[in-house]
Amino acid sequence: MTQSTADYDRRIADLEARLRAFEGRLPPPAQRPRTAEMAERFGLLVAWVLLILVLGWFKPDQMFAWNSYAVMFGSTAMIVVLTLGLLIPLTTGDFDLSVASTMALASMLIAVLNVRMGWSIEGAIVMALLAGMAVGAVNAVFVLWFGIHSLIVTLGTGYFINGIVLWISGSNVISGVSMDLVNVVILTRFLGIPLAFWFATALTVVIWYAFQHTALGRRLLFVGRGREVARLSGVNVARVRAGSLIASGAIAALAGVLYTGMRGAADPSSALSFLLPAFAAAFLGSTTLYPGRFNAPGAFVAVFFLSTGIMGLNFLGVPSFVQNLFYGGGLVVAVSISQLIRKRRPMD
Amino acid sequence: MKYLASAATLALFASPALADMDAARALVAQYSALPAFEAPGDPFDARACMADKSMFVVPLTNANPFNAAISAGMSQAAEIVGFNLRNWDTQMDPTQWIQGINTAMAEGYDLIDLQGGIPAEMLAPQIGEAQAAGIKVTATHLWDATTQETAAFMDGAANTDYVTFGHIIAAWAMVQTEGKVNALVLGPDEIPPTAPLRDAIIGYLAENCPDCKTTYINVPVNDWATLGQSAVQNALLADPSINYVLPVYDSMAQFIAPAIQISGSSAKMVSYNGTPFVLDMMRDGDIIEMVVGESLGWVGMAGVDANMRVLCGLPPVTVLNTPAYIFTDENVATAGMPANYNDGYGDTFISGFTALWGIE
Repeated sequence: MTQSTADYDRRIADLEARLRAFEGRLPPPAQRPRTAEMAERFGLLVAWVLLILVLGWFKPDQMFAWNSYAVMFGSTAMIVVLTLGLLIPLTTGDFDLSVASTMALASMLIAVLNVRMGWSIEGAIVMALLAGMAVGAVNAVFVLWFGIHSLIVTLGTGYFINGIVLWISGSNVISGVSMDLVNVVILTRFLGIPLAFWFATALTVVIWYAFQHTALGRRLLFVGRGREVARLSGVNVARVRAGSLIASGAIAALAGVLYTGMRGAADPSSALSFLLPAFAAAFLGSTTLYPGRFNAPGAFVAVFFLSTGIMGLNFLGVPSFVQNLFYGGGLVVAVSISQLIRKRRPMD
Repeated sequence: MKYLASAATLALFASPALADMDAARALVAQYSALPAFEAPGDPFDARACMADKSMFVVPLTNANPFNAAISAGMSQAAEIVGFNLRNWDTQMDPTQWIQGINTAMAEGYDLIDLQGGIPAEMLAPQIGEAQAAGIKVTATHLWDATTQETAAFMDGAANTDYVTFGHIIAAWAMVQTEGKVNALVLGPDEIPPTAPLRDAIIGYLAENCPDCKTTYINVPVNDWATLGQSAVQNALLADPSINYVLPVYDSMAQFIAPAIQISGSSAKMVSYNGTPFVLDMMRDGDIIEMVVGESLGWVGMAGVDANMRVLCGLPPVTVLNTPAYIFTDENVATAGMPANYNDGYGDTFISGFTALWGIE
């Protein structure tokens, strides 16, 4: 073990102790039975399997067909990516309500640059990702330099971006985006599933690794749990929060790239409707695998749990309002479960 | 003779079970021809009548090219006749619609037109106020011409024949499948024109095509992105024999085309509107087979024609004379590259209206 690693571990242990002291009007957590802990960690996975079995009881031909899941995995990949972007600032204690707008901006930039201005699709994608990072940087300036709550800043920048998207698109849907992108996103398949899903899976693994096994991931978590304690322990809180907002913008832009590739077109507004599903999945994901923390594999499972429910409801032919109940109810139930895990302490 | 009589009897008994293919083919052929101008009413001297009059147009939203194109047609008509017409800027915001009505009252306009989908019932108090101030209030392209009633408190309305558009969509699918349509019909029920379009498509197939089958899914506009695509792909997975997806508005194509593609279905899409990006998708791909559209510049001029008749005390025109026109791969290039809302329909309506208004 090198000196710096040992030093880091010592500081982390110290930080954790201070964090407990800071939060800890509470006594140290009691040792919970292992079965209860396992039930909590894997409850959503079990619920997912049960959901498939229950829906499959009514519609076995569709619910037990691999193709149904291949199609669903491919078509919801961009929601996974958007959710992954969202959960980075959520981990550091910031809300980014502009992620869906950033997704729309990236999607429209690709269409405008590629279709209207004749850019190569690669160049257009790079510009879209840079634009996403720029949005994150602007959010960071207002949140950190002006000291405004992230909820207010990102609500405002989200609306501002919506205006830019309407402006650059002339309020039009733009179709005819390079088939190269469409081919890479949905037409090319591996194990019968469009590549979009494998991109989302790879990003999930990367973020999971970063959160669980790197110093950066630990710093993100500490900043979210107690900014003052983290600052006193030598963590550059402002830099961590700025970085998380910039990462969120970049990943939301990546979701926009996938969304454009999914349709070969971009429109000014439809991406905005993914904000609630992304929040629902982020919060639902925080109740599983690593309960009480926003975590990438949990979010990944949550997106497909919700999508499986929607798919089953479609197969059953229920009216569309039931699907809204499922999504909206999912968010409230997820947050409630999350709060129970947090012993009903007020949320930050 | 005896055999002929027997054959006739058999045909009589058999006819209810046979699809009325001839009628469907005739309908498709009729609306595949380039639109011709038919005067909506008697000629009149528009310049003399409108010399001291003005019009104020409140569109549903300027952010929608559909409304912007109708407004442009209205402005073009006002320019030809030579009267003051103002297009108000709105963004689908009821407070902006009300501000528009108040502005028109404050500035002394003679007529307010609620253009392209503003639900007039929501503005009944403001409309009553404007009327009390001596302003006529009308609507362009809101209600269906045959199945919906113009609100009694309006001074006039130029309505759209949505039923015919629905019939054309259904007839097209019948003709292409030789009477074996298995269609998934989609629409947002909260939008007023959805009901006449939806009922016309489903009703036409039910009445004229015994071997045809339809399934309807309501997808509210706000859920098109999140639920629309999944609804279509799951319906196609549940019933792979679906051969047509018929959204009542073609803007849904951006969610339907990937659903058809990703589910590996060979279904085709047919719809109504003639939205430019959908025509571009038709030109560049294979999923969108036919779109039946209407020239929005024509709609704008027809709306102004109806409004001028209200202001001039002439017999009212209640139906827009804008004909339907079928776009397919064969003629989609005439809609422009990229497509736009006005190209492809011909320009007979400009000379037609100009002559109708006594301007040469």
